[in-house]
This record gives sequence, structure tokens and C-alpha cells, in this order.
Amino acid sequence: MKFQTTDPAANPTAILYKRCTIDLRSGDMSFADIPCRNLEDVLGGFGRSFQDLAEREIENAYCEENPLIVNTGLLTGSSVMTGMRTYFSGYSPIKGSKAGLPAAMWSTGSGRFGAKFKWTGLDELIFENRSEKPVYVVITETDAGPQVALKPAEHLFGLSTHDKIMALQKGYADAHFAVIGQAGENWQNNYMGAVALSTENQLKEHEDKSRFAGRGGMGSLMGYKNILALVAQSSDKFKPLSEAIKQVNLNVIKGGGSARIQPLSRGGGGGTWAAYDVLQEFHAVPVNNFRPQGNDIPEQLFRENVEKEYNIKSQACYRCGITCHNNISEKNADGSKGEFLAKFDYEPLNLFSTNIGIHDAGQAARLIQLGDNYGMDAISLGVTISYALSYNERHPEKTILNGATFGDYEKIRELIIQAGEGTLPEIGQGSMRLSQRLNETSYAYHVKGLEIAAYQPETNPGYIWAIAGGHMSMGTYGLLTREGKSDLESWVRGITEDKLHIVGFDMIGLCKFFDITKGIGTQMVVDCLKSELDLDVSTDDIRAAVRRAFLRGLALELRQGYTKAEFCLPAEVSENPNQNIKLPNITSREFIEKLEKRVWEIFEPELEGLFD
Amino acid sequence: MVVNVKLVGLFQTGRFKQKDREYPAGIKVQDVINELKLPQQHFGIVLVNGVHADIDTVLTEGDHLVIMPIVDGG
Repeated sequence: MKFQTTDPAANPTAILYKRCTIDLRSGDMSFADIPCRNLEDVLGGFGRSFQDLAEREIENAYCEENPLIVNTGLLTGSSVMTGMRTYFSGYSPIKGSKAGLPAAMWSTGSGRFGAKFKWTGLDELIFENRSEKPVYVVITETDAGPQVALKPAEHLFGLSTHDKIMALQKGYADAHFAVIGQAGENWQNNYMGAVALSTENQLKEHEDKSRFAGRGGMGSLMGYKNILALVAQSSDKFKPLSEAIKQVNLNVIKGGGSARIQPLSRGGGGGTWAAYDVLQEFHAVPVNNFRPQGNDIPEQLFRENVEKEYNIKSQACYRCGITCHNNISEKNADGSKGEFLAKFDYEPLNLFSTNIGIHDAGQAARLIQLGDNYGMDAISLGVTISYALSYNERHPEKTILNGATFGDYEKIRELIIQAGEGTLPEIGQGSMRLSQRLNETSYAYHVKGLEIAAYQPETNPGYIWAIAGGHMSMGTYGLLTREGKSDLESWVRGITEDKLHIVGFDMIGLCKFFDITKGIGTQMVVDCLKSELDLDVSTDDIRAAVRRAFLRGLALELRQGYTKAEFCLPAEVSENPNQNIKLPNITSREFIEKLEKRVWEIFEPELEGLFD
Repeated sequence: MVVNVKLVGLFQTGRFKQKDREYPAGIKVQDVINELKLPQQHFGIVLVNGVHADIDTVLTEGDHLVIMPIVDGG
């Protein structure tokens, strides 16, 4: 980026980002330095890409006019802890309105690809049209600036995400990779393709430890465009740590934002897995397609029980001190670490174990690993499978697919393989389409066509207004369980003010664990921008930019044909309230109607004129 | 007075899972947290008799107190 001002809020056009646009049909490419329109453009990520998507009228995700936008955030590749994010944006094949129009979507992940991409000198890559043959794209840093090349990729076709990365690593030193798996290659029948991002641990240890930009089928869109991989090749460009950044990074490690994510051995909470113990106290751990039974079944996946049979090791992303994830491996007879199985984060763990009736950690880990290697979004895949299992449980006389039921590991594994290989569109196209085809939509756990995260909807009516999936674009998932808020005012304020700010992390290039409760409108971020980029910006300016970006997302949903009736939770939640959940009922029809009225009264006036 | 105390997740390490414990009348949740030396940075949720409460809540004979760490997803 080029900075010709220190005041990005007042003079955004004096900040320019470098964009490369590639016409995949002709192979033509052009580079341009684009002046920022506003602070959202400066911050980057979906704050910028959604403004570009809004300029296009797209009726089908799989059309040449639908771009795939790859970009980074202002602090991607900086010395600020967690500054590793890459963003993939486009109109989504899986998330769409009942009018048949695709929703605008972004997805993001860590790994080292984002920093390497930024260090080539490029800030944004836009793919137009589609290539006739499979290609991979190499972005290289040169003395003359970033160079981009399209290369034939037939040799990569059919490989898993991990195998693609391993194959590319042999040819590109000092590079990192963003790839799709077979699911994305089979985009016609699989709308939930993810993009896998290589990690330092993966390249060193040759174990399948990718990070994923999973949500919304951006890997399927990449597959439609016939792009199998991106390679970013550059030298590392970390600045020496300033005192200000040292202090911020220390706060991130020790502060309230991430302390609970740190490993138990460092006095932390043991990663996101710890949510199991807490949610079980309320009988709010999703069981058998989001129907907790009020018993102790979820406890089999408590860490203390898994540790008896498996080796668990905490690991961090590159140069990050948070150590957020737990790697689970087989345990050898002597107690040492055996074969690596998978990374246990709360979402995939629950959705591939308790919520599909699997209570063995090893089986859950192997299912997670399988889905990851085929390159599918763990949330959409897990929830669509749990819907199918629930259908079969309700209709033992006329089951669908292979007749799999809750807990049937082998048959569930078969479903994942078939979906990944593109031979099972019933699963690959997501729960909304499957439930509509079967005419049983009430227990399909999606909102606006995108499957919900592993938090019971009974605990989170905020899902209704999330613009890019459950918990990552509306931080209300703990408002009832964690904060005990069950009154209307708290929920109106949470949705319309405080909790929407979680999306700021999907603009600036940082992971949400940087400061999950406060967002990016904080003095810590102000200090980082000053120290790293000599930018003077206030917390109020940042918060205003994040709010505008969120509202654009909401406005785009309405423009893509969503009616207000589609802003709703799965019907089962209110039609058949789950009495086992030990929390106040905040999803009754009456409560939701009042909440809808109040929230729209606040949002609607602000939506007017956003695209003028 | 006797309060039934349940600790969740990492708070159990080196302590206990659930126990009846003797406390003087008028004791607050914060006093129990201090007495058990629970790490403040992880302190998240308190339930008294199944209802969310705060650290200043005064406990009474026979109360069931649950102390949980904070929860976040990913």
C-alpha cells in the first residue's frame, strides 16, 4: 500500500492499495494502485471487497461475472500478533435467498499465506471469468514489484488439500500456499468447498495442519474458476518490534482477550475446547442435530476423558503467542505421541462428534481430518450430515442416502467421502437445499442458507442478523450463557451495537482472539496502526467504519432477495422448544417478534443510501 | 452454613469437582473465589441455584453455587 497521509479517516484517497486483476479466460492481467474510498477500504478485508461486490448484480454464484476477490487487511503481515489473515470474497454458492439469488460472502483464515501474499507487494487479487483448464497462480515479489503468473495445474487435480500443498512445496521455496481440495474441484455438486492455507508447522512437519477459510463455499467458487492453488513467494518482512507493539503483543497474550485460549500448561483455559465443559452445565452442547438431551453424553468428549486415550498438544500459529489449538494424535503404548489425527477446535469437534452421535474422540478426529483433506467447510458439512441423520431417525421406513443414523461412524465416513468427491450433492449442496427437497425444513439448522455454528440457536437469536455465518459475524453467542442476559434491551443492544463489532477482525487482518470481546475499535489497535504504519486514527473512526461495513453486508443481503421472513432461526426452536436446555427461553415467538421489531427499527434507517 | 460448590473445567484442577463446603453466614461469591484461589483471568460465569449471579451475590444456607471459566468459540 502507498501512504500519502497519516490521517486515513479524513483522507482515505491518499492511501492506495495495489490490485491485480486477472481475466482467467484470456490470461490478461493488469496492475493498478487504487485510491481508497473510505476507511473501510483502508482497513481492507470484507470492508473493501463488499463494496466491490455491491457494484455487481449477480444472479448465480457460478457465472463468469462473479469475481473471486483475494485480499488482506491493513495489519496482515505486520509484527502485530495474529496478523496472518487472508480474505476470500465473492457471491456464495451455498448461502442464498429463497428468491434464488446468491449472497455476498467472505471467508478468512490464518496460516502464513496472507503475510507472504502481502510481502509480494500485492494487496488484492481479483479473478474475473474462468479458466478453461485447471491453473494455479504464482504471485512473486520482484524488484519491479509483484508479478503474477498462471501455470497449468493438471498435475494437482484430484489431490487433497494437504497433498496439493506438499506437491507445490517441492517447487517453491520461501513460499506459502492457498489451495482447494477435491470438494472445490467438484463445485457443481459441492457448494461448501473451503480454501486451505498452509502453515509453518505443516511445511516443516509434513503433517496436514492447514488452516481454513471455510465458510460460504469460497473454495467451490475458486474451483468453478478452475484455480486449484495460489502460491505466494516472498522474503519475510517483519519489522523490528517497537516498544508499542511489544506492549500490545504482551497484552494479547496475557490479557483477558486470549488468556482463556492459552494451553492449560501455561495457566490458560485450554483452547476453545473448554467450551464443552461450560455449555454442558446448561445442557447446551449440541447433541444429535442440535437437540441436547439433558444427560451427560457430551462429557465423553471433555478433555479430561479424551486425554486418557489420546495425546493432546497445544500449538500456535506462526509467531503467535496465543496457542489456540489442540492437536490430537494417537497415543503409543509407551505414552508418547503417535500418528497426528486432527486439530481440535470447538466447532469441528462438536459438529463431528456429539452432534452426529459420535462419542469417541479418535473417530471424531478422523472425520475432521477427512473433511479437511477434501477441503470442505467443517460447519456446513457437519450440520448437513446431522440433518440427514436426523431425517433418517425420523423416517426409519424410508431413509435417505446410505441410511446412516446417529453414531454410525462407517456410514458417516462414507457420506463425507462421497460429498468430497462430488458424488453426493444432497450433502454437498448444504442443508437448506436438502431440507427443501425433502420438504422438512424445520430441523435444518441453517440461517439464511448458511449452517449455524456449534452454539444452540436457543442461546443465540443473534444468528438472525449475522452476515457471514453464526459466531464469526455476530458475537452474541455468549450473551445468554456467559453474560446471563435474557432481557430484550440487552439483546437489542448486543445485536445493534456491541456484538456486531466482531466483524472488524475480518477487515484489518487480525484474528478475533486478538481481543474478542472488544473488537478492533480499541486503543490497542490505534497504537498498532501508529507504530506500524504511522497512521493517526481514533477508536471512534474505527468503530464507525466497522459499523458501516456490517450494515453494507446486511443491505447486500436484502438486495439479494432475502425477505425479512428469511431472517429467522430454524423453526423447530420455537415449534418444539427443547426443555432440556437449562437457560431462560429467549427464542419464543413472542420474544423473537419483539426483538425483530426493535432491531429493524434501528438498522433500517441506517441501511438507506449505503449503495448510493 | 453449608453451600454446595461445583467447579467447572480448569477450575477443578488441583481442587475438586463438587463438594458441600462450610462457610460463615453472609459470605459472598467473591469470598469463595478468593478462598479457592481461582485464577481471576479465567473467571467467567457464576450460577446460584441455576440462575446467573455476580461475584457480590450473598450466599445462603443450602445454596448450590457453580463457578465456570469464561467461554469462547472458534
